[in-house]
Amino acid sequence: MKYVTGDLKRDAEALKKLLPAEDILTFSFTSEKGLSFLCVYADPITDKELLGEQLIRPLLHYEGGKSAKDISKSVTSPELRLNREFKKLSEEVLAGNPVLLWEGMDEAVIVGTKKVFVRAIAEPSTDVAVKGPREGFIEDVKINTSLVRRRLKTGELKIETLEVGRRSKTVVALCYLEGTSVQDTVDEVRKKLQEIDIDIVPDSSYLTHFLSSRPYSLVKQVGTTEKPDIFCAKIAEGRVGLIVDGSPIALTLPYLLIEDFQSSEDYFVPPYRATFTRILRFLSLFVAIYLPAFYVSAQLFKLRLFPVKLLLTIAGSIRDIPFSPSLEMLLVLFVLEVLNEASIRMPKYVGMALSVVGALVLGETAVSAGFVSTPAIIIIAFSGIGLYAVPNLIEQTSVLRLVMLLIAGSVGTYGLILATAFILLYLVTTENYGAPLVAPFSPLIGRDLRDSVVKYNLGSLKLRPETLGSPNKRRLK
Amino acid sequence: MNKISPRQLYFFLACVMPVGKLVILPSLLAQYAKNDLLFPMLISYLIQAGVVFAVLLAMRKGESLYALLSNTFGKVASIVILVILSIFYLYAGLLPLLEQRLFVQSVFYDTLPSLAAFAPFFVFSIYLCAKPLGSQGRVWDILGPLSVAGLAGVLILSVASTDPGALLPVGGGGFKGALKAFTVATGWFFDGAILLMLLGRVDYKKGTAWKGTLFYLAGGLGVLAFLAVFYAVFQDMAAGQYFAIAKTSKYFSGITVLGRIDYVFIYMLSLVMAFWCTVPLQAGIDCYLQPFGRHRHLATILSVAVNAVFLVLLYLLDNRFGEVMRFITGPSFWIFPAFCILLPPFSLLLRRNHERT
Repeated sequence: MKYVTGDLKRDAEALKKLLPAEDILTFSFTSEKGLSFLCVYADPITDKELLGEQLIRPLLHYEGGKSAKDISKSVTSPELRLNREFKKLSEEVLAGNPVLLWEGMDEAVIVGTKKVFVRAIAEPSTDVAVKGPREGFIEDVKINTSLVRRRLKTGELKIETLEVGRRSKTVVALCYLEGTSVQDTVDEVRKKLQEIDIDIVPDSSYLTHFLSSRPYSLVKQVGTTEKPDIFCAKIAEGRVGLIVDGSPIALTLPYLLIEDFQSSEDYFVPPYRATFTRILRFLSLFVAIYLPAFYVSAQLFKLRLFPVKLLLTIAGSIRDIPFSPSLEMLLVLFVLEVLNEASIRMPKYVGMALSVVGALVLGETAVSAGFVSTPAIIIIAFSGIGLYAVPNLIEQTSVLRLVMLLIAGSVGTYGLILATAFILLYLVTTENYGAPLVAPFSPLIGRDLRDSVVKYNLGSLKLRPETLGSPNKRRLK
Repeated sequence: MNKISPRQLYFFLACVMPVGKLVILPSLLAQYAKNDLLFPMLISYLIQAGVVFAVLLAMRKGESLYALLSNTFGKVASIVILVILSIFYLYAGLLPLLEQRLFVQSVFYDTLPSLAAFAPFFVFSIYLCAKPLGSQGRVWDILGPLSVAGLAGVLILSVASTDPGALLPVGGGGFKGALKAFTVATGWFFDGAILLMLLGRVDYKKGTAWKGTLFYLAGGLGVLAFLAVFYAVFQDMAAGQYFAIAKTSKYFSGITVLGRIDYVFIYMLSLVMAFWCTVPLQAGIDCYLQPFGRHRHLATILSVAVNAVFLVLLYLLDNRFGEVMRFITGPSFWIFPAFCILLPPFSLLLRRNHERT
């Protein structure tokens, strides 16, 4: 049976057949006028208090006609829909929206009384700002879109909802500013989302694989943010945003590498300070990736790179180390990665003990026992800190650091130069949704350089980034 | 992505092309022309600038070299010409590669490493050569500023150790020496010939030809400035200072405290050089791909084959740079002027497809 027949008993059976789970409950009642109703709902995710107030109580005293339109008029819920297809009705029940059937009517009413458990809106731990808004996205798509809507009070803001995931039916909100975002990008993102054939989507990161032009690449190709202010700013620049139900991390497209070097705070502090911190982030990342590798390569192949005094200090500290420079550095790096991984997963109260073990036992004792040298620990520590200057790229840069270290240990500095050439070539030839990954550096776009390593005053950023190709170019008059 | 913008072409002409002339050539010029080393370089640059201008003008036609050749001479003849041109490119690519290998061995390693230290270059080269020449356009956007910063850094660190008087008196090196230096320099001036392979790949705008030539000359000015500083630092000893770019700045006073910080700039220039060394190989491969179409597998096979041949050649010619250079600038001296000065301007005479125009 595909559609509602009006025979309450048969309809209830048909619906129950589609929803055999124990937490799907039915509740039947009769109005004062003798009309029989049946309500089907998912117990854990339905707000029963709201259901009673908005649906059952008005219908108990219902004296109007028998048509679906008449009945829906007396129900006080603001979210009402009519449908007669059992498949659709069962999906609504599973989404937390009760379905109301009644005797003699071949149509059902869907009532929006979903019960949502959400955590409070808080500052995301991965994107802390001293200045500027502190709100962060949470796991509910409706609340997240409301945070966006609150910041962009314009009819041009379009929020399209799509369902992704055969089983999870995860709601994905596609957000963009009509007339500002490139329509081709919007269409392409929508098409890619519609083509996704996956079982469940537990988090937005699942979608990045399908939205990237090079899905197996080490290079990140989809922008991410946990903050609605950043999300809105990116949309206002002409990007397309995606908010995924169940995930506090929103996605933005197209993604440019420079985005991860820009912090929201850069726009709330004077431009000279923002420029300084951006240069610092670039240098930190460079140091994090290359410093251990260059140190190893200099030790193995070109000791004369060091000044004499430093060379003597290094020679003194590495004299009794039983490992080769590359093996020693790999060992320290391995310990750092293990400590890092453990400190993230460990309960907070064990964290202090872990710091003591990491700093004293593994660091101090390993040096005094002559397993590793002090310069190696200093370099890895510096590299480890540098990595966190650009937190959104940690996954990529930590791998690159290891690769560079291996190359330095085997081929030396020229290997590092060639590896850099490889990366450079790969990066400049990567494009996503028509936007080159390393723009505005390659292709060089002079105007967009004003908000790259250097951050100009807000008054100088009158136009939207040329790289994104927004049809609405001007943002400041 | 495969169309090169005029800006990217300017970066290539002004910043990438000169880097190959900063390694061994300065010491060779100093060996023959002594303190007049600037003149053979200047004359070579002026002649080559004329060739570059002619090829850039031919870019207005908007068609590839193969298309222009086949419109003029027919398909078979154009394939023959491209095969000859390809052999020349690969021949021209040998000197920069040998030079690069010696540079890498000497500058990046205290102990002389085996060929294995340089072999990874060919992995990179295989990857790059399998791509169309136009794909380098975007890299030039990055290499341009990098090259300028590298050269400026080396010059700034070196300038305090110079004695400009060493370049005087003008003419002290003698005409014969300058002439010999000029003939030696021809082996490094195949810039105009390389541009032939960019025909049809540049998004030509009005004025690109003369602007491009000016940028090329600006790059030459950078090379001349480096030569002047190089000779002013080493003076009579300049002839023995191979790998000039890595040696000129080593007398910077801060090095005793800070270490070889000049290596930061040398690394930048080495990165640019790694790309520059692949250009003749890529051009040589492109000569075969233009008539037969850019099939991915064909490009990869050709790239692997050409690079494997060069790897073997480098192994066989180990430490025989002098002999190779003497061969190139001696008995086969005529090859470079023929292919790099006489031939490229003929691209102006090649016919466009009239149906398309």
